[in-house]
Amino acid sequence: MGLISNAASHALSSSTVLIFLTLLLLAATKRLSTCISLFIVQSAVIAAQVFAIAHLHHSAEAYIVGTVVLVLKVIAIPWVLFYLVKKLRTTRDVKASLSPAPSVFVAAALILVSFSAVQSYARELNVARDPLAAAVAIMLMGCFLMITRNKALAQILGLLILENGIFMAALVTTFGMPLVIEIGIAFDVLMGVFLMGLFTFRIRDSFADLDVSKLRRLRG
Amino acid sequence: MTLLLPLVLPAVVATFVLVFSNGTHATRFAVTGGFIEIALLANMAWRVHRETAITLGPYFRADGLTTLFLMSLGLVFFVTLLYSVSYLRHIPKGRFSSPRWFYSLVFLFLFTMLAAYLCENLGLLWIMMEATTLASALLVGFYNTEGAIEAGWKYLVVCTVGIAFALFGTIALYLAAVRSGIPSPAALNWTTLVQAGPALGEQVPSLIKLAFLFVAVGYGTKIGFVPMHSWLPDAHAEAPSPISAMLSAALLNCAMYALLRYDAITVHAIGPAFSHTMLLIFGALSLIGASLLMMVQRDLKRLLAYSSVEHMGMVATGIGIGIPLGVYGALLHSFNHSAAKSLLFFVAGNVRENFGTLRLDKITGMARSMRWTSIFLTVGVLAIIGMPPFSLFVSEFAILNAAFVQENHAMVTVVLLAIVVGFGALVFQLQRILGGDDASLKTPVIAKTEIMAMAICAFVVLGMGVHLPMAFVGMIHRAMAVLSL
Repeated sequence: MGLISNAASHALSSSTVLIFLTLLLLAATKRLSTCISLFIVQSAVIAAQVFAIAHLHHSAEAYIVGTVVLVLKVIAIPWVLFYLVKKLRTTRDVKASLSPAPSVFVAAALILVSFSAVQSYARELNVARDPLAAAVAIMLMGCFLMITRNKALAQILGLLILENGIFMAALVTTFGMPLVIEIGIAFDVLMGVFLMGLFTFRIRDSFADLDVSKLRRLRG
Repeated sequence: MTLLLPLVLPAVVATFVLVFSNGTHATRFAVTGGFIEIALLANMAWRVHRETAITLGPYFRADGLTTLFLMSLGLVFFVTLLYSVSYLRHIPKGRFSSPRWFYSLVFLFLFTMLAAYLCENLGLLWIMMEATTLASALLVGFYNTEGAIEAGWKYLVVCTVGIAFALFGTIALYLAAVRSGIPSPAALNWTTLVQAGPALGEQVPSLIKLAFLFVAVGYGTKIGFVPMHSWLPDAHAEAPSPISAMLSAALLNCAMYALLRYDAITVHAIGPAFSHTMLLIFGALSLIGASLLMMVQRDLKRLLAYSSVEHMGMVATGIGIGIPLGVYGALLHSFNHSAAKSLLFFVAGNVRENFGTLRLDKITGMARSMRWTSIFLTVGVLAIIGMPPFSLFVSEFAILNAAFVQENHAMVTVVLLAIVVGFGALVFQLQRILGGDDASLKTPVIAKTEIMAMAICAFVVLGMGVHLPMAFVGMIHRAMAVLSL
C-alpha cells in the first residue's frame, strides 16, 4: 500500500478531530469573518475527505463531487460572504444571544449527544462511528448557531454549516449521492446564498441594521 | 415530448418575458404563454390517462397521481394569471417590481412546481422543492415593505432549514435502498422503491422510520403543519394576493404530494402503522392549532392562511386514517381546497384594493357597497367551512366518514371540533364584514378579469359539490391505484 493510499484510508477518521475543533471554535468566536474562515476550514476538510474516498474507490464521480465542493464551499460561497460583510459595512459581531463560554459548553454537549445518537446506527449499518457522529454534530451545531446568532449573515452561515453536516452524513454512510443529485443540491445551496444575500441588503435598507431580532412586526 | 414541452415552456416564458419593458406587452406575452401551457397540461393529462404513465428520461415521470395534482395546479395557475392581469396595476414602481419581473417570477415558480410534480427521482424532487422556495421568496417580498421583507426572510430561512431535514431523510432512505441491494442510480427512483416493498425494510427497519420522520418534518414545514407553520401566515399575508393564492392553493399541495410519495414507500416497506400515525399526529395538531388561532386573527389574509393550515391538517388526516375512503376524501379535498382558497384570496385582494387595508376591524358594510365581492366572499366562506352544496362538504364528509368506519373516535372528535371552531371564526367575521354601514367607501373598483377569475373558482366549488363528474372520480381512483395505499 502506497503512502497516499495509506493516508487516504485514515483520512476519514483522523480528520474528524479537525471537524470537532472547528465546531468548538465556531461556538467561541464572536467575529463574523473568523466564523467564515472556520467555515472554509470545515469545508476544506470535507473536500479532502471526498478526495480520499475518490482515491480509495477509484471513483471519477467522487473526484468531480470533490472539485465541486472545493470550488463552491471553499472558494465561491466564502467569497460571496466576505463580499457581503464588506459591502454591507456592518459591525463585526455575530450578535450572539448566548455568550462564548456557555456556547462552548453547549457545543461540547451537542458533540456528546451526537455520539450517543449514532451509536446503534453505526453498529447496525457497519460504518465508522466517529465520522458519522461528526456529521450529526455539524448538523446540530448548524441549528444551534441559527437559533442563537441574530445577525442575518451569521444565520446564513448556520444554514451552510447545517448543509455541510448533511453532506458529510451522506458521504460517510453511502459515499455520497449520485453525481447529478449532488450537483443539483450544490446549485440550490449557491442560489440560496445569493438570494439570502439579496435579502440582507433589503433588510439593512429597511431596518437600518442586520440584526434579525429586530424583525418582529409579524406575529400571532 | 408530451412531458418535455409543458415542463420547458414556463422556463422559456420566464426568461423571454423579461424582454418586454412595456407592461401591456409583457402581460400579453405572459397570458399567451399561460394559455398554451394549460393546453399542453391538458394534453398531458389525456395522454397519461390513456397510457397510465409516461416517462421522460430516467428522471421524470407522470402517472395518475401526478395528473390529479397537475389538474389543480393548472386551474390555480390559470385563474391566478387571469386575476393578475388587472391586479398588477397596484404594484408600486420599483427596480424589481415591474410587471415583467412579476410574470417572470410567477412562471419560474410554476416551472419549479411542475418539475417537482414530474420528478421520478427523489433527490431531484428535493432539489425542485427547494427551488420552489427560492423562486417564491422574491414574490413574497415583492412589495418591498418592512413587513414583506420580514416575511420573505422568514419564509426563506424557515423553509430552507425545514427542507434540509427532508434532504437528510432522503439520504437515510437512499442508504436503506443501497443496503438492501438496489443498485445506486435506481436507488432514488420512486417506482423502484415502491416495488422493492418489504425488502427495503428488512435490513434496517429503523432507518425507514428515521427517513420518514425527517421527511415528514421537512416537507411538513412547507405544508405548514403545526408546529412548523410559523412562516406560513406571514408569507401569505405579506405577498401580493395572486401570490397568496398560488402559495396556499398550489405550493402546499405540491409539498403534500411529495410527502404522499414518501408515505407510499414507507407503507410498502414497513406497513402503514408508523407513517400513518405520524400523519394523524400532524393532522390533529394542525386541525386543532390552526382552528384555535383562527379565532384571534385580526387580518383577513392571516385568517385565510390559518384556514389553509387547518385544511392541510384535514388532508393529512384523510391519508392517515388509512382506508381507501379516507385517501379518496383527502385527494378530493386537496383539489377542492385549492379552488375555494384561491377564490378567497382573490376576494381579499379586492378588499385590500377598495378599503386600503386588510384589518378586520376596519372592514365593514361591504354588502351595501361592493356587490360582486360580497357575493364571492359569501360563496368562498360558505364553501371553506364545508357547507353543502359546496364541494368541500363532500370531501370533508368522506374523511369524517372514514374516521367513523375505522372507529377512530379521537380523530372524529378532533375533526368535528376543528370544523366547528373554524366555522365560528369565519362566519363571525363574515357577518361583521358584510353587515353594518360604511359611508366612507367611494364607488367600488373591480375589473372584469377579476370577476372572471373569481367566477371560475366559484363555479368549480359549486359545480363539483352538486355533481362530481365521473371522469374526475376516475382520476382520483387512478391516483389511489398509483399509491395503492
